Amino acid sequence: MTQHDPALLSAALMGAERALNQAIALAPTSHQALDGLSGTLIGIEITSLSLEVYIELLSGPELRLMSHCEATPNTLVRGTLQDFAALAAADDPASVLINSGIELQGSSSSLIALQQVIAGMDIDWEAPLVERLGDVAGHQIAETLRGVFRWSEGARASLKRQVSEYLLEEGRLTPPAAELEYFFEGVQSVSNQVDRAKAKIDKLLAKAAERGVSS
Amino acid sequence: MNDDNTVSADNHDDTTDFGYTRVDRAAKASLVRGVFDSVASRYDLMNDLMSGGVHRLWKRFTIELSAARPGQTILDIAGGTGDLAAKFSRLVGNEGKVILADINAAMLEVGRDRLIDKGAIGNIEVVQADAQALPFKDNSVDCITIAFGLRNVTDKDMALRSMLRVLRPGGRLLVLEFSKPTSAWLGKVYDQYSFQLLPVMGRLIAQDADSYRYLAESIRKHPDQDTLRGMMDEAGFVDCRYHNMTGGIVAVHQGFKA
Repeated sequence: MTQHDPALLSAALMGAERALNQAIALAPTSHQALDGLSGTLIGIEITSLSLEVYIELLSGPELRLMSHCEATPNTLVRGTLQDFAALAAADDPASVLINSGIELQGSSSSLIALQQVIAGMDIDWEAPLVERLGDVAGHQIAETLRGVFRWSEGARASLKRQVSEYLLEEGRLTPPAAELEYFFEGVQSVSNQVDRAKAKIDKLLAKAAERGVSS
Repeated sequence: MNDDNTVSADNHDDTTDFGYTRVDRAAKASLVRGVFDSVASRYDLMNDLMSGGVHRLWKRFTIELSAARPGQTILDIAGGTGDLAAKFSRLVGNEGKVILADINAAMLEVGRDRLIDKGAIGNIEVVQADAQALPFKDNSVDCITIAFGLRNVTDKDMALRSMLRVLRPGGRLLVLEFSKPTSAWLGKVYDQYSFQLLPVMGRLIAQDADSYRYLAESIRKHPDQDTLRGMMDEAGFVDCRYHNMTGGIVAVHQGFKA
């Protein structure tokens, strides 16, 4: 029995599907790469919400979003909402994917290929504006919107840099990223050594048990 | 107001429900035909207005449950204006087949024209058929859907048995139908809407208040979720279950042929 009302989830997926397919239609340079992924099925399981969403790539190219799917996905990504939020906000998604609690089942290549196509999508926002408003007005509005996007991108990057500088240099509230990475590598190394030592002890104990020596 | 959601004693006398009225069993099909002849041309518009467009979401989830894939044969009974058939047509591809069946010629005509307008041709057959005696071979269909149609069928048990016969072993039946709201307050709001507002909308948009009053009454006379699941079990379907949608106003039942 489904926990969520399927109609509510369908509404959300229908809206997202339309928006994504509209974006794909406006990015013709990505069509060839997406067509190459046709037939791929990606499952996303958000454990904290008991929610499953499936993305199927169809020829066209087109995306289909589903809340119920009986086919086995090529890739299944499982994690909490916080994990996915951190992944979405990360500058280095690969690193977050490795270090977070996100679990990946199946082939990661289709997921990486899709991520690369989406990241490289060059959406021509001007085309629908020109179609509706005419060449001159459409172009003017598109230019204004491009300016606003550029400014907001710059402002976001600048704010992020300043906050980062404050936390590191002024407030000394967080360690530098390199130091943190060095620390995590050390922890990982100790963890590996402990695992190896445990495996060796288990092996010795098993041998001792075979020879009838009490531990 | 009659809130009786139990199955009427259809099989034990010569009368059956037509909304809240008891009519001769032989007369129900022509009475239902009259209703749908009257609303056919504005059926989709009225559905959108009556449900606020939510019927598209209910149908979308039903299509997901069908797990339709290329090469399959899908039978959409009471398919009316063909919105499910158009979606299935894309999913089964050129190597698959969709059969759009309806007992009502006026609805089928609207459906066929609409499918042609959408470019959904080539893998769709349009068949005028009675759900109680489906004119298809045994074990010939992978999935059957009947959306908002079962409540209009005179003998629902007979129709379920007919669907089971036509399905291939492992095939599934999906019944999308109005059902019983799961909370009392929603039931009250829904009653007010169905019996006060719906006939007014029917009169204003389709110039036919009576047909829409029948639709509201027929929903109340339709078996509730658990009763319908029991009827599917009784007909011979296995692993029968249902999903409530929009607070139980609608439910989609699923059963398989062993």
